[in-house]
Amino acid sequence: MRSLSRALAAIAATAILAGACTGATTQPSATPGGASPSAASAAPASPAPSAQAEDVTLTYFTFSAAPDHLEDLDAIVQAFEQKHPNISIEVQTAAYADYFTKLQTQVAGGSAPDTFELNYENSVAYANSGALLDLTPLAAGDSDFDPSVYYPKAYEVFSADGKQFGVPEQFSDVVLFYNKDLFDAAGVAYPDASWTWTDEQAAAEQLTDKANGIWGHFQPIQFFEFYKVLAQNGGSFFNEDQTKSTFNDAKGVEAAEWLIGKLDKTMPSDAFGPDQDSALFKSGKLAMWHTGIWLFSALADAPFTWDISVEPGNVQKAHHFFANAVVASASTEHPAEAWAWLRFLTSSDEAVKVRLDASWELAAVADQSLFAPYLSQTPPENREAVFEALSDIVTPPVIEQQQQMQDIVTQALEKARLGQVSVPDALNEAATQVDALLQ
Amino acid sequence: MTELTGTITALTAGIRLRGGRRLYRAVLYTLLGAGAAAMIFPFLWMLSTSFQSDGALLVPPPRLIPSPIETGNYAKIAEAFPLWRFLLNSVVVAVVSTVLQVATSAMAAYAFARLRFRGRDALFLLYIATLMIPLQVTIMPLFVEMRYLGFIDSYPGLVLPSIASAFGTFLLRQAFLGLPRELEEAAFMDGAGHVTVFRRIVLPLAMPALATFAIFAFMASWNSFLWPLIIVNSPDLMTLPVGLSNLQGRYATSWNLLMAGSTVAVLPILIVYAVGQKYVIRGVTLTGLKG
Repeated sequence: MRSLSRALAAIAATAILAGACTGATTQPSATPGGASPSAASAAPASPAPSAQAEDVTLTYFTFSAAPDHLEDLDAIVQAFEQKHPNISIEVQTAAYADYFTKLQTQVAGGSAPDTFELNYENSVAYANSGALLDLTPLAAGDSDFDPSVYYPKAYEVFSADGKQFGVPEQFSDVVLFYNKDLFDAAGVAYPDASWTWTDEQAAAEQLTDKANGIWGHFQPIQFFEFYKVLAQNGGSFFNEDQTKSTFNDAKGVEAAEWLIGKLDKTMPSDAFGPDQDSALFKSGKLAMWHTGIWLFSALADAPFTWDISVEPGNVQKAHHFFANAVVASASTEHPAEAWAWLRFLTSSDEAVKVRLDASWELAAVADQSLFAPYLSQTPPENREAVFEALSDIVTPPVIEQQQQMQDIVTQALEKARLGQVSVPDALNEAATQVDALLQ
Repeated sequence: MTELTGTITALTAGIRLRGGRRLYRAVLYTLLGAGAAAMIFPFLWMLSTSFQSDGALLVPPPRLIPSPIETGNYAKIAEAFPLWRFLLNSVVVAVVSTVLQVATSAMAAYAFARLRFRGRDALFLLYIATLMIPLQVTIMPLFVEMRYLGFIDSYPGLVLPSIASAFGTFLLRQAFLGLPRELEEAAFMDGAGHVTVFRRIVLPLAMPALATFAIFAFMASWNSFLWPLIIVNSPDLMTLPVGLSNLQGRYATSWNLLMAGSTVAVLPILIVYAVGQKYVIRGVTLTGLKG
């Protein structure tokens, strides 16, 4: 048993050593003093840093980089560090599914990353809790910054009570993907901007060929799809002052029935698992597919011709607008440097170019000429539809308990989809539960 | 599994009475085979997916034998991710926390089983009660504690919270209670103190229980996800489960790569279990604990 005590001693020694090492490595980033007032007044975006600029390490926590865009982010970081030799960026990644678990703990535990990414739906709760740095004074103090570089709607949604708490980083939308070969084979005209739900349904009926396992269309049945079709149907999710749900009214029921009524007639009922719709479309068994533009690169080598169109509406058109912002933590010790990094990450020519080249969603910048290289890529031929869709966007309804609300609505729709309850009952039940969250 | 075997024995006993040893065997093996297949199938599926090519993945109908067989997935994850680094971190964390857990639990268990002091049983109950509190509840204060200690994003931060184990203390205390006191009393007569008795008598006798707990502790550490996710920021310190979770994209996931990584992650556990299996079974019998 002597070996046991020896092993224990060795482990204790290792632990102490390891502690000492980490203590040493974390020291530089924890230099006391933080951002000096002089650093804040220096124009942060200017390429030549002032003489007294101290070395600063900023952490940046992201969910959109791993696993496919780590190298692209690296390229942006390098370009930034070249312009700002005194700032180095330390990237931390997590999968989207785990990102907010970790972020919440870090923010609440007083160890938030200096800068991080938030999607629109989650940003409101973080902003309200005071966890985010108010960027308004930094933006105002930055002489050569002009908010109009951003797509206006994207910049707008990340402000509240006159405070800008984030800058838009990227956005994406959802369009109608279609398999041209299947349309040709069935002799059906391709979808265009004039289409409504009725046109889509008529085409889907002609395209569906159950004997050969070919389906007319697929549209997910969950919260995000529902608030959009609700808008397409002229309905609204909440009443004006957001005190009561209205998504269970006649328009809401009609919208949910549009989603669910297609099942087993023109839309497969067994493709709701992860990536199953994607597999179905890729294998040429699906004619039309409502999904996001983030799938362009995944479909680049599909063995058939495909294109996209704006989504058919009903009484009006409506398209998703998914936006991510980058924000700074209220507790960061380097607000000026954080602002410089956020600005560079979202609107510098270098960053915009890297994002577009990599099809890493779309930079939320207003200058359409920057998108020329993106628009010239095919497939899809009709890439302009990505931007056409922006003329009638809807943002998701957002409340403090965002996740609970999304889960309630998705679960209600799922029950209705599986035929466990009728559509009106499912929506009424969900509305009662969501109303309870609003109290 | 034990309940299953029990049911099968009971079921087949009737058949045996009516004679037909062969029939009995056939039924027994069919049932056991079905049970084994149900257990093994998910692992087979993981293995099969890890050899699927990007294109063939998720194409209906699903196929268990991939065609074509794609062996490049393993090279691809090793190239795209510091997989060996993740593996090394997992091994270091699992080994260190297992050794420390066994050591601290054994000492605490000895105290609870053999020393007499005031409030011992109350303290033990209180300690055991902490088993009821899930990690999610304590994670916030634990995180803050680690921040004050300066252990965020470090090996000590990864390991420290798991160096003591209420479960291990309980398991080993029960095992120690079952040991014959006479041996220890004889040692005390010969002038041995508690330290000697603990090291020379109790520990060697309780080897199966120690090994069982070591395997449980190793598996728990190996599969642990939430704590490493939260405490570690730099890729250099990520353990396998956390590193692998980064393979999941927001919109789409390369399941074949993820499964290749998972296969690599499962192998060490299989080896540990295969080596320690006989101890586990003996240990479980000894402590009266079901796995």
